[in-house]
Amino acid sequence: MELDKATIQAETRKSGGAADLLPARIVVRLEALVRDVRTVLNDFTGARPAPYAVRKPLARHLLAFTTSPSPTSSAGITPRRLRVTRVVRETADAVSLSLTDPEGRRIAFVPGQFFTVLVTLASGEILRRAYSISSLPDEDGAAAEVTITIKRMPGGRASNHLNERVAEGDVLDVLGPSGSFTAAPDPAARRHLVLIAGGSGITPLASITRTTLAREPESRVSLVYGNRGEADIIFREALASLVETHADRFTLRHVLSEPPAGFTGRTGLLDHDNVTRELDVLAAASGLDAGATDYYVCGPEPMMIAAREALLARGVAPARIHEERFSAPARRTTPALPTSSAPIEIRLRGRTKTVTAAPGQTLLEAGLAASLPMPFSCTMGGCGVCKIKLLSGDVTSEEPNCLQEEEKNQGFVLACVSRAAAPCTVEVP
Amino acid sequence: MFDTSRLTRFLPPRMQSQIDAYFEAFEVLLSVKDPKVLGALGPSGVRGLLLHRGKQGTPTDMPATHAAHFDWTYPSDQPEMADLYRRAKLGQWNGDDLPWNTSVDPLDPEIPLIPEEFLSFEDIEELGIKLDALERRKLSYSMCAWMLSQFLHGEQGALFAAAQVTEAVQFFDGKLYGATQVMDEGRHVEVFNRYLDTKLEKLYQINDNLFVIIDSLMTDGRWDMKFLGMQIMVEGLALGAFSTLYKQTKEPLLKELLKMIIQDEARHVHYGVCALREHFTKHLTERERQEREDWAFEVALLMRNRFAAYEVYEEWFEGRMTRADWRNVVYRSQGMEEFRTVMFSRLVPNLREIGLLSPRIMPRYEEVGLMRYFGGLAADQLTAEKLLSDLH
Repeated sequence: MELDKATIQAETRKSGGAADLLPARIVVRLEALVRDVRTVLNDFTGARPAPYAVRKPLARHLLAFTTSPSPTSSAGITPRRLRVTRVVRETADAVSLSLTDPEGRRIAFVPGQFFTVLVTLASGEILRRAYSISSLPDEDGAAAEVTITIKRMPGGRASNHLNERVAEGDVLDVLGPSGSFTAAPDPAARRHLVLIAGGSGITPLASITRTTLAREPESRVSLVYGNRGEADIIFREALASLVETHADRFTLRHVLSEPPAGFTGRTGLLDHDNVTRELDVLAAASGLDAGATDYYVCGPEPMMIAAREALLARGVAPARIHEERFSAPARRTTPALPTSSAPIEIRLRGRTKTVTAAPGQTLLEAGLAASLPMPFSCTMGGCGVCKIKLLSGDVTSEEPNCLQEEEKNQGFVLACVSRAAAPCTVEVP
Repeated sequence: MFDTSRLTRFLPPRMQSQIDAYFEAFEVLLSVKDPKVLGALGPSGVRGLLLHRGKQGTPTDMPATHAAHFDWTYPSDQPEMADLYRRAKLGQWNGDDLPWNTSVDPLDPEIPLIPEEFLSFEDIEELGIKLDALERRKLSYSMCAWMLSQFLHGEQGALFAAAQVTEAVQFFDGKLYGATQVMDEGRHVEVFNRYLDTKLEKLYQINDNLFVIIDSLMTDGRWDMKFLGMQIMVEGLALGAFSTLYKQTKEPLLKELLKMIIQDEARHVHYGVCALREHFTKHLTERERQEREDWAFEVALLMRNRFAAYEVYEEWFEGRMTRADWRNVVYRSQGMEEFRTVMFSRLVPNLREIGLLSPRIMPRYEEVGLMRYFGGLAADQLTAEKLLSDLH
């Protein structure tokens, strides 16, 4: 029988109405006695409590997520499965997919991060591609639904598959979120974010724009966004409505290389000169305070180079320039795969273990296969989490990847895109 | 055991079951020969078997009587425990990293939680109860949820007992190690609770016999009794139970979860053997040692015989077969036989190693068929790899 507190209190009150007068210790004992007697009687006559209770996921379980890949993950490269809940066609060549966890867990991410999507083609081949999150997290840094936006690349097998084949209800295997091209919101901040986007480079910057405007009431955002024609502008309406809502804090400047008649904005490519002119306009309108302005650049490689040069020429400190580079896989060099297996000595947290990499296996795969808790996130050379130091030996790495020149010079390599070309020794920092 | 149903068959089924339950409880208490052991187990037996304190629908408060042992000189006193501490720190893992995105259908015949032959459906059929394919899968689902619920309740006991043992133990290296075990047990509660709530969506009440063991060692003030109860007996039971399920389940998330837990448990039993070997063989009088030897034997029997899943019986078969019939079905089941074998092949060598299996008690173990496990490896010579590889 269910015994709730109310019943017990009623019982003790009945026994003379003196519960209030008795010391608390005695009341507790009396209540326990009543429960014991009732339990024994119920064993014979009454109804016992049901032997089991039906349970639902508790808040504790629903909110359990890891914000970053755990360095002790021992489960190997296990993607998580997310269900596509909405498909929105942004332009003729770009689609947004809204994703949720099938078990209702919320997804933690920082604006600017990306997911590595594992695309399985009809042939069974699995491609890994990074797609940035374009939506914003809730105030606690997680969201029930996240949106990634995919622009079709000419001849791109993954992007075409995702643009054409994926429908509501499908399940995607993803890794991450990963990446340090981020602007975590700080409600107390008073800063100016200048975002320079080209084409699909808008995706992480859209998330940063939405989040900053929503969560930082004192901060301003200026977005310079280059495209070919008007029809290529991703998030065109959404951005226009943000301008209406936050007219005093959000400046949007389109730059088009093939403008329609009547277009009043700047025309041409986002090259050195045009970036400089745009920055001049922003400086004249609102000032670009060197101590409170951060620059985020994401787009095609020539635009990134031009923007960097233009910013440095204006005296912007390199630490204030944030860049996100995604190399188109077609341009990525995959070095000839080693054909023999090589022993790799891996030093990790004071322990040393020698593993053998099968031909074609990356250092990361070889380490994980030997149950070593090697850190990783995107597994495609885009986030830098799996950075390790090559102490001796030789590896071949897929290029380009996100390692900076300085890191390469110090002997770092990315475990996820490097393969042993000779016996080698590496150290996990 | 005496089949009370012959005398009580004219009573309503509900009452028949209850009389059988009382007879079983009395039999347990009567079988205890040492009065001191009876004194230690008796009150817990009343609270668990008669008053069902774990099933009253309210939280249970168990008073503790042990002393927290402080040492302000922080001696480096037990190198073996210091080594366990180092290994325990490196062996920490995050429960969130398990593949929780695995979707689990408890009734999927392709990926059974426990094998079909875990319970003998032929034995059930002989009692005139025919279950169709779906009912069989549902019963297997109930058994698995029941076992995991008992693991969860046991881990809650282990969490608090580990905290008490950390306070009471007299070796400083043991206290540091103990802190890692508290964390381990907390994580085990987390993952079992999460699995039951999000995957099986069912939680059974604590089994009365399990309640008796937990209550007995939580309320005993002697640190070595807590150790013996927790680190050797309950951890040994847990290792047996987890290993059996690990070996038998086809559900990948559950398998991975159990694999991670088994690696922690191997350290826990090892710690118990380290701490007790010296204490029992050097610091106790023969009379005190004998009392512990008897206590361990009684608890071993309690564990072997009494986990009969009566909660599943109440859900499924009360009024359709007698409680004694159900007990026979469970004891004869292949799953339980496997469980007993794994459990005692770990437990008996450990009891030998800590000096609680002297020639004095051997005949009693022989009598119940447990001496065949005498020659195995004790926990301090076992690695997690060995434990897991034994199961393949």
